[in-house]
Amino acid sequence: MSVSAHPFRRYMRNHVTRTTTCPGCGNGIITQAILRAIDELGLDMDDFIFVSGIGCSAWIPSPLFAADTLHTTHGRPIAFATGIKLCLPEKNILVASGDGDLAAIGGNHLIHAARRNIDMTVVLVNNGIYGMTGGQTAPTTPRGLTTITSPHGTLEHTFDICAMVAAAGASYVTRWTTYHPRQMTRSIKKAIVKKGFALVEAISQCPVQFGRAAKLGKAVDMLKHFKENSIRIDKARNLDEEALKGKIVVGEFVDIEKAELASEWARLKQEVMEV
Amino acid sequence: MSKITIFRQACKGVEDCGICIFVCPKQVLIGSDEMNEVGYLPPQVKDESLCTGCQNCMISCPDFSIVVEKDASKPAAERGEEDG
Repeated sequence: MSVSAHPFRRYMRNHVTRTTTCPGCGNGIITQAILRAIDELGLDMDDFIFVSGIGCSAWIPSPLFAADTLHTTHGRPIAFATGIKLCLPEKNILVASGDGDLAAIGGNHLIHAARRNIDMTVVLVNNGIYGMTGGQTAPTTPRGLTTITSPHGTLEHTFDICAMVAAAGASYVTRWTTYHPRQMTRSIKKAIVKKGFALVEAISQCPVQFGRAAKLGKAVDMLKHFKENSIRIDKARNLDEEALKGKIVVGEFVDIEKAELASEWARLKQEVMEV
Repeated sequence: MSKITIFRQACKGVEDCGICIFVCPKQVLIGSDEMNEVGYLPPQVKDESLCTGCQNCMISCPDFSIVVEKDASKPAAERGEEDG
């Protein structure tokens, strides 16, 4: 018997019939990974508040998800999410936004949310370029890549977001590409359940801007690139810097338990009120 | 046999996307020349009997256009009887 609609349509608003992304964009794969994680955990969309910023990947929760979504100003979704979590600690907060939004313009919010270890899940979609504005060099752009703002190749070194967030003190840090949707789903599930700051960096393909700049071709060619160049962390540990050049290290970087801000705050409030 | 359903109107075409064809290990899906209402060319099922029900295409579809229903609920012997 054939189905009349996709099973995840029940998590989407009725008036949204199509995703807002370009053909072959990785955002859709990540959207499905988020919804599949929520579905497999058996959680309700009303348990969540989704926060996003500005950029292509900020369109993942809004307007698609039939839930409370907050589409905020550029770079500030984590700042808004911090406020929501402290105000409504019983809710699951999921921030879905891009590298330009969370790591470039909003980089400081990312660092300090990780330092505070506030309970939220951040799905950071990293496509390595400013896609929506026309393909300018981003902090995550691979060194030497010719983009619209670096016609002779960018001289800047590439930002390693996972290493930075891990150093800032997050409880859970993981990286996958859109070639690993099953692993990404499992990691998002762990990140949602994790009491503390959890980052899932999702390396995604932008066939329109990045594919053209890097001369990688279409979506399928970029997925092939991810398949051939991603290397798991357990193998990468034994390799030197030269061998890892141009490789994408995937896997779980940090998975620890530590004191979380919202629950610590609740405990402090109780202690102070008792005195 | 697993059942593949393609929602043609949600699909953004195999020309620029085509991820479903790429991730299928058994080459069950192929391109087609038939447009949907917004002008994209959705894939078509070449041979459904080859489908193993791995759901790679469903999980990797960025536009929620493919559903693969596994036939794992029934025991293998019963499936054989139904197929005749």
